[in-house]
Amino acid sequence: MGVCQFFLRGYCRFGERCWNEHPRGGAGRAGAAPAHVTSGRGGGGGWGASNQRYSNVIQPSSFKSDAWGGSRDHGRGFFGSSDFGSSGGSSRNADFSQNRFSALASSQSAADGSKDEEERLVECVVKDMEIWESSGQWIFSCYSPMKEKPNVSGFSDVSPEELRLEYYDSRSNNIIGNYIHAVQELALQWKNRLVQLKALNASTKASLLSAFKTTGTQPAPAFGMGGQQTSSFGLSSFPVSSSSSSSTSASSFSFKASSSLISSASPGSSPAAGSSSAAANPPAFGTTSSPSAPQSAGFGSAAAPSAASFSFKAAATAGGFGTCGFSGFGSASAVNSASTTVLPAFGAFSAPVGSSASPSSSALFGQSASASGHAVTSASAAATSSEKLFTPKSELSAEEWQQFEAKEFTIGKIPLKPPPLELLNAFDLVSLFRSNMF
Amino acid sequence: MVRMSLFGTTSGFGTGGTSMFGSTTADNHNPMKDIEVTSPPDDSISCLAFSPPTLPGNFLIAGSWANDVRCWEVQDNGQTIPKAQQMHTGPVLDACWSDDGSKVFTASCDKTAKMWDLNSNQAIQIAQHDAPVKTIHWIKAPNYSCVMTGSWDKTLKFWDTRSPTPMMTLQLPERCYCADVVHPMAAVATAERGLIVYQLENQPSEFRRIESPLKHQHRCVAIFKDKVNKPTGFALGSIEGRVAIHYINPPNPAKDNFTFKCHRSNGTNTSAPQDIYAVNGIAFHPVHGTLATVGSDGRFSFWDKDARTKLKTSEQLDQPISACCFNHNGNIFAYASSYDWSKGHEFYNPQKKNYIFLRNAAEELKPRNKK
Repeated sequence: MGVCQFFLRGYCRFGERCWNEHPRGGAGRAGAAPAHVTSGRGGGGGWGASNQRYSNVIQPSSFKSDAWGGSRDHGRGFFGSSDFGSSGGSSRNADFSQNRFSALASSQSAADGSKDEEERLVECVVKDMEIWESSGQWIFSCYSPMKEKPNVSGFSDVSPEELRLEYYDSRSNNIIGNYIHAVQELALQWKNRLVQLKALNASTKASLLSAFKTTGTQPAPAFGMGGQQTSSFGLSSFPVSSSSSSSTSASSFSFKASSSLISSASPGSSPAAGSSSAAANPPAFGTTSSPSAPQSAGFGSAAAPSAASFSFKAAATAGGFGTCGFSGFGSASAVNSASTTVLPAFGAFSAPVGSSASPSSSALFGQSASASGHAVTSASAAATSSEKLFTPKSELSAEEWQQFEAKEFTIGKIPLKPPPLELLNAFDLVSLFRSNMF
Repeated sequence: MVRMSLFGTTSGFGTGGTSMFGSTTADNHNPMKDIEVTSPPDDSISCLAFSPPTLPGNFLIAGSWANDVRCWEVQDNGQTIPKAQQMHTGPVLDACWSDDGSKVFTASCDKTAKMWDLNSNQAIQIAQHDAPVKTIHWIKAPNYSCVMTGSWDKTLKFWDTRSPTPMMTLQLPERCYCADVVHPMAAVATAERGLIVYQLENQPSEFRRIESPLKHQHRCVAIFKDKVNKPTGFALGSIEGRVAIHYINPPNPAKDNFTFKCHRSNGTNTSAPQDIYAVNGIAFHPVHGTLATVGSDGRFSFWDKDARTKLKTSEQLDQPISACCFNHNGNIFAYASSYDWSKGHEFYNPQKKNYIFLRNAAEELKPRNKK
């Protein structure tokens, strides 16, 4: 009768009935262990020490180390990319591990049970960057290493459709070069950030970790405003939905570079720009929205006349003023088709500093920019544009500044200098490129 | 490096081409030998939608980047007859049917949405946004009906089609990327991994903001129902070849919610880096509850989310599959083969033909295990 190996490890299922010897000396390890397991993986957390024991025994290769905390990626055993052909029977690979970090624990060297969550996060980021680089997947995407974590700064989220539309617009205006240039800039921005994160020197790491800690979850502010919206359904006096959340959260994609790190410090709309979307607007809209009030009675009333009066005063903006944001049908559609700027601009200004600008609906260079709700942070102009497309704020007189800030230019006071970068939003930038025929 | 040949050889079919059965051309534009819809759009197809059960027969609408929305009648023998077409002044990004099948709503980059009355073949504008309208859905509630539009202007608006002003405007945290509605639930996914669920009873209101279960950009979302036909969760796809199944109120979230990888090349077990493709569309089979995903890799796959297994993966087409949908009874699965811009403008070939394929879906999507 030999010594029971399982007992020595702390979990002999037979206990007293076991035919092998259970030396009392080795009893110290009891622990919570249920039946001994032959395959490497435990189901469920709490395996602790014993899990690690097997970590290097059986390590299915599908257990990729891009561990993913939070909602478990059960894909490995099931759907997975491993074509289990007609599946079904693959449950023997069940790795239903609920312990979100078990994947990390077992896929690394055995002795790392004590690794910090931070370290894990950081490793996760590095691995994800490697995968991102080699996979050929869409690069203009936001990224976050783990469920509850906010997006890592420096990555702009642009959907393929947005880019495509930009291309089509550029094509119809014969300025594809602009588009290509802008895309290249964005791609370079991505690449730089990716390389930076992969290399992960001390300062990058520090800022990354602090971002994860401080902002907690970006949606948080918005969360509180959960029920934002309108008064009862059917009435059209819609006060606004908390637009402040939209301006504080990651503003426009193209200038996201650094915006989240910086914007957490200087929330969204910089005071300099003045009109932070929501706040400033309500009074202004007080009057314009009144025509819509009668509509509370029912639908189909007062449509045309009030609509027409809106034109672009809207500056619609984040204020979710349904009535105001919307330029009525007839007249507006003509105007809208005239301005082809549709998308947030590209990061030709791919500089790191973001000072957010509130949407400015002032007509630039005679073009009517379609007012958009995008609060965009534009980078320091000096960094990239060699030509004077913008005037630094310091060079503008108070009156000129006021003109730029206003919704419309006052005739006779239209500034001759180009507008300041701070007041331009993405749409304006795109139209600027076009008008300057880069 | 070119991951797949997107510039397949043209098959030489004119716009009047019909079924591809027995084709002798060597190209790979229809490896699954599915039925080809006649007169497909001239540019990439952004959305597909089949008529509701209230309409006898099957009618398919497709919106495209050629600014048009086309409607075909799909007969039981597989023959497709082009019926009508409407235009926008910008690419069409989404389209849907009204519950009675008499109207089609279309959303476009021209920042408007239109209502197309199929009987009169007239279309009128019913919505206006400050930026392209990305999603459009018809909501039919016991006490109201309206059209919901989601736009890149970060708002979600609800429209009574008779009024130019929205009934309601809800603010989104970011640009709307995709949405789905199954009364009384609506799920909207935005840029920067935003994810919000709305409840639509009485009037639409935000129900919950959800932490995204995915790491990258959201691309498509589809709501699924439980055994008693109530919406209970959604599937969310990202650009990173991954789909998350998320239940709204699961008994055990850690266990019930999960993600799975899909639309990737060389299946796992190798140490070589995979090619990862975006999930362009997700659709649930109306009867079986199983789901289909289509990706930039030019494949479609069928999955059973309850058994957590893959049912089938198609051969690879020579172009990405940009959209998909099931008809009302789940007999037909339609998918569109056209460039989705996943590789940028260099891989865009305006001359390349776009296709919409129809496949019999009655058998292949049966759930794996009887529960």
